[in-house]
Amino acid sequence: MARMKFLCDAERCIECNSCVTACKNEHEVPWGVNRRRVVTLNDGVPGEKSISVACMHCTDAPCAAVCPVDCFYTTDDGIVLHDKDLCIGCGYCFYACPFGAPQYPQQAAFGVRGKMDKCTFCAGGPLQDNSNVEYEKYGRNRIAEGKLPLCAEMCSTKALLAGDGDMIADIYRQRVLKRGGRPQTWGWESAYGTTG
Amino acid sequence: MKLIKKRGANASTAAPGLGEAIDRRTFLRRSGVALGGAAVSGALPVTMMRKAHAKGASPKAGIATEMRRSICTHCSVGCGVIAEVQNGVWTGQEPDFESPFNLGSHCAKGASVREHGIGEHRLKHPMKLVGGKWKKLSWDEAINEIGDKLMQIRKESGPDSVAWMGSAKHSNEQAYLFRKMAAMWGTNNVDHQARICHSTTVAGVANTWGYGAMTNSYNDMHNCKAMIFIGSNAAEAHPVAMQHILRAKENGAKMIVCDPRFTRTAAHADHFVRLRPGTDVALVWGMLWHIFENGWEDKEYISQRVWGLDRVREEVKKWTPEETERVTGAPPDVVKQAAQIMAENRPGTIVWCMGGTQHTSGNNNTRSYCVLQLALGNIGKSGGGANIFRGHDNVQGATDLCVLSHSLPGYYGLSAGSWKHWSRVWDLDYEWVASRFDQDKVEGDKGKPVSPMNYKGIPVSRWIDGVLEDPKNMGQKDRIRALFMWGHAVNSQTRGPEMKKAMEMLDMLVIVDPYPTHAAVMNDRKDGTYLLPASTQFETYGSVTASNRSIQWRDKVIDPVWESLPDQTIMYKLAKKLGFADQMFKNIKVNSDEPLVEDVTREFNKGMWTIGYTGQSPERLKLHAENRKTFNTTTLKAEGGPADGDYYGMPWPCWGTAEMKHPGTPILYDPSTPVAEGGLTFRARFGVEHDGENLLAEGSYSKGSEIKDGYPEFKADMLKQLGWWDDLTPEEKQLAEGKNWKTDLSGGIQRVAIKHGCAPFGNAKARTFVWTFPDPIPIHREPLYTPRRDLVADYPTYADRKRFYRLPTRYESIQSQDFSKDYPIIWTSGRLVEYEGGGEEQRSNPWLAELQQDMFVEVNPTDANNLGIRDGQMVWMDSPEKAKIKVKAQVTRRVAPGVVFTPFHFGGWFQGEDLVAKYPQGTAPLVRGEACNTAMTYGYDSVTQMQETKVSLCRIRPA
Amino acid sequence: MTRLLSLFTGVSLAFIVSGCYESPSVTSYEPGVYKGAKDPLMQANKDQRAETMKKRFEMVQTDR
Repeated sequence: MARMKFLCDAERCIECNSCVTACKNEHEVPWGVNRRRVVTLNDGVPGEKSISVACMHCTDAPCAAVCPVDCFYTTDDGIVLHDKDLCIGCGYCFYACPFGAPQYPQQAAFGVRGKMDKCTFCAGGPLQDNSNVEYEKYGRNRIAEGKLPLCAEMCSTKALLAGDGDMIADIYRQRVLKRGGRPQTWGWESAYGTTG
Repeated sequence: MKLIKKRGANASTAAPGLGEAIDRRTFLRRSGVALGGAAVSGALPVTMMRKAHAKGASPKAGIATEMRRSICTHCSVGCGVIAEVQNGVWTGQEPDFESPFNLGSHCAKGASVREHGIGEHRLKHPMKLVGGKWKKLSWDEAINEIGDKLMQIRKESGPDSVAWMGSAKHSNEQAYLFRKMAAMWGTNNVDHQARICHSTTVAGVANTWGYGAMTNSYNDMHNCKAMIFIGSNAAEAHPVAMQHILRAKENGAKMIVCDPRFTRTAAHADHFVRLRPGTDVALVWGMLWHIFENGWEDKEYISQRVWGLDRVREEVKKWTPEETERVTGAPPDVVKQAAQIMAENRPGTIVWCMGGTQHTSGNNNTRSYCVLQLALGNIGKSGGGANIFRGHDNVQGATDLCVLSHSLPGYYGLSAGSWKHWSRVWDLDYEWVASRFDQDKVEGDKGKPVSPMNYKGIPVSRWIDGVLEDPKNMGQKDRIRALFMWGHAVNSQTRGPEMKKAMEMLDMLVIVDPYPTHAAVMNDRKDGTYLLPASTQFETYGSVTASNRSIQWRDKVIDPVWESLPDQTIMYKLAKKLGFADQMFKNIKVNSDEPLVEDVTREFNKGMWTIGYTGQSPERLKLHAENRKTFNTTTLKAEGGPADGDYYGMPWPCWGTAEMKHPGTPILYDPSTPVAEGGLTFRARFGVEHDGENLLAEGSYSKGSEIKDGYPEFKADMLKQLGWWDDLTPEEKQLAEGKNWKTDLSGGIQRVAIKHGCAPFGNAKARTFVWTFPDPIPIHREPLYTPRRDLVADYPTYADRKRFYRLPTRYESIQSQDFSKDYPIIWTSGRLVEYEGGGEEQRSNPWLAELQQDMFVEVNPTDANNLGIRDGQMVWMDSPEKAKIKVKAQVTRRVAPGVVFTPFHFGGWFQGEDLVAKYPQGTAPLVRGEACNTAMTYGYDSVTQMQETKVSLCRIRPA
Repeated sequence: MTRLLSLFTGVSLAFIVSGCYESPSVTSYEPGVYKGAKDPLMQANKDQRAETMKKRFEMVQTDR
């Protein structure tokens, strides 16, 4: 069974934001909600590195642990999803998440938050796959169509890898071997633990 | 499981201290972009919250989805786009894994092109300005009113008083029709973005070895051992090219970036050379100094294939490490290391872009890059070459098909012979074509009388002066009175206040564009401005030429939205109104006002012999599009399948007729392959000798050539002398008699030359001494606006010119004034990944606009501290020409002390004022900002009139 | 006075030091049992999907 993971190869990421707009386009994510974003370290000086970040679909997801209404579930291939019909938009998961993934569309003035929204690994939610209602609540379900997350599929330099953890680790290892240097699997330890 | 406590994401960020360097994302967060923490705090204003688009454009379950194929309309990489369409609505985008160019990848812009088809900010109907208010009108009314006004101006002032500014966003067919339309109207005042992006490249490179285009391809960069980028920020301007570049790097290639800024591309380089803006020749000669000093040049290559290098040696001798540092600021060891990397890792390629081209001596820069590569023996080799990344998606095609004021399609020039060639192709009487032009001779650039038909028109960089200049000083009867801005952003041109004045002086301004553009709002015109909604390339079809000269076929994704029309239809309507539709579309079928695109392709196939746009018939182009997956992603050669042996998109030159089945030329000037299979020699373009020296190649010829030495370009008589005349068929003989490889409409001369293994255009040496240019050997010249007064005496600019492209052009009279006391900071400009060109379509696209919400200026912490400027603070930038812009300061070490950088994609503000109220309702872009070129200054290249936007001076003060 | 001062110092020290102290017992939560609707994606043929995804992955993410 596949275990779905994300990995961003910082040696290849050029902060072009294609992952961000691909996500916006695919799921029609509204202005102000960012399921994925690119973070740059040492901006403008030698050592500058960029990493594309979204929900990492953690093993033992901390968001699930803190959720007061237990709206999170993990699919067999390790994708962490949630049921928006249960979510109360409390914001606990945001504080629990090491990657700042959960987003809360604002539905009214004075900071009342809407239901939590986050990266679904393009796997929709607990509704009929690729139904209109699933699209409206969670976005497109590419996994059900046998496709991978669009952010990774459209990455300009193939820096962002998505798919079975072993397969992406293989590709990444080959790259590291080829170019030398130390692997920097940013976020993997937090997300998937030391054993992966 | 433990609850992991993390801080940071929502940690409140204290306001930074004065001059503290900051990263771009933090800057953005303060600009209002919500990232993680900001989202939780509910900091977004209600107005920011909206569903991106009308629900109608979302994919629906249970409805058949069609997949349609197009090509991205942003940059010149030529990424394949796959569109999902349901009931005629563009509902999704899928990666185009089959495209050998992008292998499914996109950048931010490419991943969001669907917005073109569903966006709400498009111009929806034809409109005109009446008493300062926008009024809707029908297409018929608009064409009638515009046509009547044009005819009135023609009668009063002649055809040259109308300027037609076209676009690098045209398809090849539209670009060709646009040039033809200007010709039928009777003017050479027609131009497009190539003038202000790579005109100095085209002129400089074509005059060195024959053609002015990228020699290799993005894919071929996999084979590089070294890559040097000068004035190219590929990571932001050509992001998908970085896939190929980083693959080369992982294969072991060394990567050098030379730039005044530490760009996102530089962040991936092995070696970074920071130079002062406008000192490219000095840097390249500084590198070449080490190459010559150490004998690293390729002596055999030079003796066989390069002419005039000894004269360059004399100039390079002056560029000792000390002098190079004095001028460029680059330390000697850094320059030496760059030279050594290039010398030790061959083949190596050079990449350059606008950082090198947009200078008063841009043609010197581009030629110096060529010389560096020639000295290293890198041209005409896989993994080598001059990989000149073009800008817009079809700026290469629009240049080839010539939306330009100084030539005709295929770089034929403007001589009577050229006009006669095209008249034959058009199947029109040359006399009729000539009668369309102003018949009175004017004083030309060289002071001699010249017919307007044979005289280079006013270029897009100078249309302002074509309006403002006294007609007495101009090389045409009257000033420009009507202006078309057809797919062209005025915020990419300099001198805002003068531009505003010029716009207000025009009798008529016609903007043809999918968006209203900055041009519609930056002036205070009250009447006589027309906005005609043009379709994007996704609403029509046709061919497009990528930077590597490959031609790709786009299918139509959706029907034109709202009342927009494709360019070819608008051109037909105008031609009909102006009375030359019958001539212009003589051999082109027209279906209810829309010319048949394939017929247009076939027509230019019949005439574009010079650069081999003759073999790429619509049928072959469609075959390539359908079989994209059969092409190798490194060589671009089809391995099996129906296009077996062809190179993807038949990169020009694709010699002869389509029936000849030439595969295209993937690498220019590569003699290791027979010409019939895509090999080439350097073009014999400049005669056979100069000053008694042989210009033809010596001992170098392409594989399989029956002439085992240099030879001139092929002519009918030469075939006879060689005894090859009888290889022509009787029909070919009839058409070829008295003609040459460029004018023989049968293609027979090309066919026979290639049959004998020869290049139709001859086999010569590349020339490093261009005797027809102001500086035959490229030399350093200080920018017009320079703070280095000590260098002005040693490296002065040119003398002012009385007439140059019909206009007086100033150099010395500006440089002689010292502005550096009041305007001490060097100012350069460039691109952002989310936006392109004038930025109108991207700033109207919420998915992109959200990522860049403020126009900004990058300031080094040292300058910020000296000026008392904090990060995120609004500042005024004043130019020595008394223009000013109000922008946000971004304090960063990306720029060196004393240098500031601004992006150039913003518009919709003018000198501190947001012009949102001046757009037609609902069409204002989501993000507006000051156009940096409002305050960019005078300065034009000495060969092409390229504007100098990569170096000027400014003053910065808190706003 | 000295006593008072030392008391004061002691008290304030206690306060200061307690500021540095962090409780070693972090509340850890066990995730509860998911209470939402069933995801049809979970019922799909997993092995078949794994195979399709593998093919897709090779097309998407390798440098062909």
